[in-house]
Amino acid sequence: MSMPSIYKTLGTSVLMAGMAFGSAAALAADGPLRGNVRVVIGSTSTGGDTYQNSSIVADALAEHLDINMKVDAVGASSAFRFLDRDPRGNTLMIFHDQSYLGYLYGVEGYENIFEKYTIGPTVAINPGNAYLVPKDSPYQTLDDVIEAVGNGEEVRVAIQPGGVSEIGFSALKNAIAIEHPGMEENLVAVNTGSQADKNQQLFDDQADMINGTVQANEQYTRLPEDDQKAMRFLWLTARNSTIEQAPEDGLGQTTREQLLQYVEPNVNVTMGDDNFTFDKEFFFLYNKDMDQAIVNQIDQALAEIYAEGEIQETQKNAFFIPNFKPSDEAADYLESKMSVYEDIITNIQ
Amino acid sequence: MLDILSLLDITFFLLAALGALVGIIFGAIPGMTATMAVAVCLPLTYALGLNHGLALLLGLYVGGISGGMVPAVLLNIPGTPSSITTTFDGFPMAQKGEGERALRVCVVASLIGGLISAIVLFLFAPVLAEFSIKFSYVEKFLIILLALTVIASMSRNMLVGIFSGVLGIWLSLIGTYSISDGGNGHTRLMFDFLEPYLFEGFSLLPVLIGIFGIATILLEAEEGVKSGLAGKNIEFGKGGGFSFGIFKGRLTNLVRSSFIGTFVGMLPGVGGSAASVLAYTQEKNLSRDSSEMGKGAPQGLMASESANNALTGGALIPLLSLGIPGDSTTAILIGAFTLQGIQVGPLFIPENADTWYLMMIALVFANVVMFFLMFYAIKHIAKVVLVPKYILYPIIVMMCVVGAYAINYGIMFDVWTLLIFGVLGYLIQKVGLEVAPLIIGFILGGQAEVYFVKSLESFGTYSIFFTKSPIAVVLWGLIAASVAFSVTMSLKSRAKRRLEASS
Repeated sequence: MSMPSIYKTLGTSVLMAGMAFGSAAALAADGPLRGNVRVVIGSTSTGGDTYQNSSIVADALAEHLDINMKVDAVGASSAFRFLDRDPRGNTLMIFHDQSYLGYLYGVEGYENIFEKYTIGPTVAINPGNAYLVPKDSPYQTLDDVIEAVGNGEEVRVAIQPGGVSEIGFSALKNAIAIEHPGMEENLVAVNTGSQADKNQQLFDDQADMINGTVQANEQYTRLPEDDQKAMRFLWLTARNSTIEQAPEDGLGQTTREQLLQYVEPNVNVTMGDDNFTFDKEFFFLYNKDMDQAIVNQIDQALAEIYAEGEIQETQKNAFFIPNFKPSDEAADYLESKMSVYEDIITNIQ
Repeated sequence: MLDILSLLDITFFLLAALGALVGIIFGAIPGMTATMAVAVCLPLTYALGLNHGLALLLGLYVGGISGGMVPAVLLNIPGTPSSITTTFDGFPMAQKGEGERALRVCVVASLIGGLISAIVLFLFAPVLAEFSIKFSYVEKFLIILLALTVIASMSRNMLVGIFSGVLGIWLSLIGTYSISDGGNGHTRLMFDFLEPYLFEGFSLLPVLIGIFGIATILLEAEEGVKSGLAGKNIEFGKGGGFSFGIFKGRLTNLVRSSFIGTFVGMLPGVGGSAASVLAYTQEKNLSRDSSEMGKGAPQGLMASESANNALTGGALIPLLSLGIPGDSTTAILIGAFTLQGIQVGPLFIPENADTWYLMMIALVFANVVMFFLMFYAIKHIAKVVLVPKYILYPIIVMMCVVGAYAINYGIMFDVWTLLIFGVLGYLIQKVGLEVAPLIIGFILGGQAEVYFVKSLESFGTYSIFFTKSPIAVVLWGLIAASVAFSVTMSLKSRAKRRLEASS
């Protein structure tokens, strides 16, 4: 056999093996969703909550539907683009409230998801969105902060602008505008990037308060006070009822009981009539032209998975609060959630 | 301690070894990186459990970083971004027929770098984490500035070199000042119709492979097929002229470069490529006989490879003692912990002592495995250059295209980036510009901008760059020394040339 024909034979066999394998996988499932499905997420991090939560859900779905699913951490703008290109249903997206908050804050690359995409089911809540101060900070409670700003003191808050990290800050600013009109300018945003950057701002004394998470910052709250890195929780934006559902042991060595100190009604951030709360919820986004049968299929599959009850245990172990709502319900719920935050953001502009 | 021994089993070591092997392969294929290897295998840690999963991932990490040396030396293509400086001396050596010798030097240097950083990690992690948070935006900017001064000492003609470097920085600023870094997210330095493609700028890896790999292939293609083999008269067997004697008198270089690598790895947000670049410049500035560097001197390889392997231990320091990844690969590694419900943060080491010791064992073991795998496989690996170019180059181009397409999970524009920069790299060398400074400018430019702007945003005054802290003052000292050194070197060599010309 001459050299070129070896290559040819080799090539052909690889090709055939590939085709055989590919079609076997594609035939494994029945129903409109089949074969290989790619789940893109709005975060580029595989260490973050979006990836963690998405892989729990994708694994459960893949097993239940007997299809292949792969989570790719491509980041928001790429994820939206991938989704735009694929109406067949081979690309799905999982993201959280950032997807519409980015639009509300006018971030480049974000559009109104309720117009542009089909909203899929919600799957879980990350209850960990938090605001922290250095352990030796003069502010003992969030009320102290509101009071101080109301009295003309400048308080600097390190956030990542344009979304989940900013919404609590905006709500706080709004609350100050309501309780101490005109003083809200004293609450200053320090725009930073990653959690590491936000922590660093606190260590450098460039911020008085930072946005963080229970997951990333809990260990810092257990350091001794004389440690430059020691922090203290002031506020968790989650609903009381959300934290109530967390495992009793909480996270690390901070129990649920302790976490409940930092949510309403112990901490109040007013919006006028109601109190502000924010739960970071994860949900599916679909291409607008995707077959409705796939939407139904995923709804139904998830309903069955949640009825079995195993996924809730996995989620709770990972400090997520299970929160399944089928797509119709999810779309209405999220749209009304968006309108609340839209008011806050308009108020403080 | 006994508990830990009971956790160690054959599978643990097999996985670490397998990881190192697969990592080396990923690292050695242009377009595939350590980061990709870890990302691909991350979901496996679910099934393997934390300890076994970590053994595999750490093996991949160490192997992936080391594997990058192979294409860097043999083909002038950095397999991973941190092996750029390996190409400077490695490829000239390969062209002289010393590819095998060069690779052996690299492997030994890698092992030393990896082990030194592992020791530093084991003994000083919490203390160093404490030190690393003293580096705010200002100090990080100065570190990057220091790495940028290398451009001057690295160029053949200083003015052209600096111009190329500035061009590289300019290219790195295309795209947006990302909103996640606190910017406005508006695109700049481009035409409107390019916005959908260039929103995030040119991706690093396709640029790198294009400008080194594709450009080299184009230059070679121009010469036609007559020379036949990529490497000419290579001596195989007998270690290709390698003996450990080559390391005599190089201990300072190895130790210094390993510490630089560990240190840069430790600083979150200062990319890994800065480590080998800094180590390379320091060797060039501080060693007595640096005149051969860039033309095929083993000392350049030692600096580059010991520094980039030292990154591994360094980058794990902030991960394990602050919960903050030190580089892009550890950023993925953090997923292995979160997927298993383990928090990484300032209390990780005291609260998870077993896992911590196991990680150290895996890290050291992976380094040793990497060494033996590569040291003895080298004479076969180096034969790549014996493959006729007309077969080798199309395969490389194909692998580069696949790698570029895969790097951001399937973006076609990355393939165009690869080809555009391939042609650009070719043209740049034709018009006499210099590739190395350009690429270093490209890699460091984006970070330099962010930290510069952030420093001003935080402190509001230019003088802060000089007065922020004693660390800043020391860094300015180093920057001044580095610039002064390049100027004297350049004056000296000009005087020498004149002397030669007149005599």
